Amino acid sequence: MEHPPPPESAWDPGPIPPEPEPPRGPDHPIRLVVTDDRRRSRLTVFFRLLLAIPHLIWYFLWSIATVVVVVIGWFIALFTGRMPEGLHGFVARYVRYGTHLFAYLTLAANPFPGFAGDPGYPIDVEIDGPERQSRWKTAFRLLLAVPALVIEATLLGLPGAGSGGSGAGGQEAGGEDAVIGIGIAFLVAFFAWFACLVRGRMPHGFRHLNAYALRYYAQTYGYLFLLTDRYPFTGPFDVPDPEPPPPAPIRIAIDDDLRRSRLTVLLRLPLAFPHLVWLGLWSVAAVLAALLNWLVTLAVGRSPAALHRFLAAFLRYQTHVYAFLSLVANPFPGFTGTAGSYPVDLEIDGPHRQHRLVTLFRTVLAIPAWFLALSLFGLLFAVAIFGWFVSLALGRMPEGLRDAGAFVLRYAAQANGYGFHLLTDRYPYSGPADRRLAPPDAEAEPPPPLPPLPPEPPPSGLAPA
Amino acid sequence: MPRRSAGLLLLAAALVAAAVGWAIAAALLWDTGVPDDLRLPDLDSGDYFTAAELEEARSYESVIRLFYLGSLVAGLLVLVVYAKVGLRFVRESAAGPIGTGMLLAMLGLGLVWLTLLPFGILELWWQRRHDLTEAGYADVVVGGWLALGVEFAGISLAILIVMGLARPLPRLWWIPGAAAFVGLAALGAFVYPYLGGGEPLRDPVLVEAAERFEQEDDLPDVPIEVAEVSAYTTAPNAQAAGLGPSRRVILWDTILDGRFEDDELVFVIGHELGHHESAHLPKALAWYALFAFPGAWLIALATRRRGGMREPAAVPVALLVLVGLQLLASPAFTAISRNMEREADWIALDVTEDPDAGRDLFEGFSTALLADPDPPSWTTPILQTHPAILDRIAMVEAWEERNGR
Repeated sequence: MEHPPPPESAWDPGPIPPEPEPPRGPDHPIRLVVTDDRRRSRLTVFFRLLLAIPHLIWYFLWSIATVVVVVIGWFIALFTGRMPEGLHGFVARYVRYGTHLFAYLTLAANPFPGFAGDPGYPIDVEIDGPERQSRWKTAFRLLLAVPALVIEATLLGLPGAGSGGSGAGGQEAGGEDAVIGIGIAFLVAFFAWFACLVRGRMPHGFRHLNAYALRYYAQTYGYLFLLTDRYPFTGPFDVPDPEPPPPAPIRIAIDDDLRRSRLTVLLRLPLAFPHLVWLGLWSVAAVLAALLNWLVTLAVGRSPAALHRFLAAFLRYQTHVYAFLSLVANPFPGFTGTAGSYPVDLEIDGPHRQHRLVTLFRTVLAIPAWFLALSLFGLLFAVAIFGWFVSLALGRMPEGLRDAGAFVLRYAAQANGYGFHLLTDRYPYSGPADRRLAPPDAEAEPPPPLPPLPPEPPPSGLAPA
Repeated sequence: MPRRSAGLLLLAAALVAAAVGWAIAAALLWDTGVPDDLRLPDLDSGDYFTAAELEEARSYESVIRLFYLGSLVAGLLVLVVYAKVGLRFVRESAAGPIGTGMLLAMLGLGLVWLTLLPFGILELWWQRRHDLTEAGYADVVVGGWLALGVEFAGISLAILIVMGLARPLPRLWWIPGAAAFVGLAALGAFVYPYLGGGEPLRDPVLVEAAERFEQEDDLPDVPIEVAEVSAYTTAPNAQAAGLGPSRRVILWDTILDGRFEDDELVFVIGHELGHHESAHLPKALAWYALFAFPGAWLIALATRRRGGMREPAAVPVALLVLVGLQLLASPAFTAISRNMEREADWIALDVTEDPDAGRDLFEGFSTALLADPDPPSWTTPILQTHPAILDRIAMVEAWEERNGR
């Protein structure tokens, strides 16, 4: 079904130039397709939760039917090694519909979605037809899906299954039993709600981040509900996004081979103790330096080179330690935050002019970024826990988990570099586009055409290949 | 005389002078207030304990000793292997030489911890079986894990000091290094009582006894505190802690739970104040210094083939040498400790003038801790930091005889 164009209204912003052809997601049987232009109707944004009530009721009823269908399909797939076409189509529609609904709820898309889960929504999923599935993976699907469900709960929430997410509690939505656990995407939606009302446009990073959460939702429930036996891919860097990311003065550089030493993985937490002590001591000096930096930057409109260097080294060191602790990187880091000394490193540009007004209100402006960074640490925690078990067993960190962790570290570094250390006045970019982030001087030239996405790496979740 | 021979002679003279100085200092530190001519009577444990008590204590301790020996051998083996192959973990570090040295030291300790963990769990099982602790297995593993983190932070500091000094002073780092460790030990001893967070002792009988000791017997006036440990153990204990203004007597709440009479607790307070009276903690620090300097020198010698302590490669060897030296020195350490405990017991007898209380206390300790009152003699040099219970009772008897009681 073709989706009707969104109605124009007095709250809509002016015309937006056409976007380039959006890249498609990786070669997973469940792929995200993003054609959203980030325009938002202020009126529907204002009433978004209320407008979604009929959908939430419908989603709840459809969920019950889907569970029944999946149980039947599970028995059939266990014997035949394949979901029957009809059941597969029913569940695929349900997953697609869920993606549309949550895209609408989290402001990742603008138009009111249809009730049938038809393709064509601005945030959509393509789902391949039924394929042969490993009977073992089918038999233990619920158990195998637990890590993915935990990560999904952190990213989006546990739709229709009680409170979950990153500790934000539950939000009653559409009936006593239809409770939605709140994840990172809903926190993003909360901040985006204000931004959309003011600007009539969804901030780029917010839409990109929520697209990541929605893709993970679709792949997780597709896996749980037997649409595929391919494990959800946790890596955020290949989430399709029609626009290039903005330039960033603080970027992450990853030069990690995914190998992990089992012994240092086993002892990772106590091994990090000396670093945590040193980080704590250094933090005291960093607070004083940041305060001084704020005063000087406010006065002269630029961070002094010495302070900038000191704070950049601290931020880099903090990232090294967190990367080590959360298994995003393998080797024991040095204690000085030297650039280029660690496989998961920060590239931090030198001092540049900063807007004095932005500097004056920096702490207040940074509050949403800090909240989001705090919330993303829930994802980093999940990465560390699951990564610990997998690395201990395989001596290798799954690429998806590593990249998800690296994304969190980059965002946290940008949030701190912006709000606390005043290394830049460029607001942190919340989208997971780290492989494409460019330094600000790239602004002078038009962005180069996007490189083709790399081929899908082998499944890197917890399930056996 | 050739220059080389003169140098060797000078070195030999310096070594002899150091050895003589060491011996004089050790003799001065060894001296106690226990009469030199005191002869302990030969006692029979059957006169003080029932056959069942002796059997239970001996059976309990024999297994504990087995665990100890097993863990000792396993730990040493791990360190020997680690000294040979530990170098391969250098590739797990992105830090500089000192950071890499820290990593290697921590991994060595971590491997020993992992090796000893099963022995620790077995020992806990054995203690639980004898109702000596209420700690759970998870508490021990998780607590041990966190304690390992603190240990790692400590060893990292030690490596920072050693390697930091070994870079500018590759052959002489051990002199300022040992001095730094003695300073750190003194700092730790000073700060320790402030970290415990015990409550002041409120029992009027015990408080009054402590005041009497201070006023009539010139024992030092130090605060007496009660530490809550009953959540982890049922073992009764007390300790003297602190230096100068931080001096404290710390009674575990397990010793105040009714198993011991007031006169026995007064004896305990006399014993702990005796430690402070005889300056045992400063003396222990001085002993530590006497061992730290030659120990650090031996480590410096042993690690030269791996480039000395400025190189991370030397760290696994240094760990093995350190543990080996500690093992070799353990007869001396335990002897020094027993010597101090004997002196504190003697002071307690002098100030309380209550040998019955002392005898009852030691008998009670044996029952409560399931301590073998007369352990095999081979355990004395490596395990016995206190005199055997029967020897402590013998000292009570000797005091009685000497004072005409």
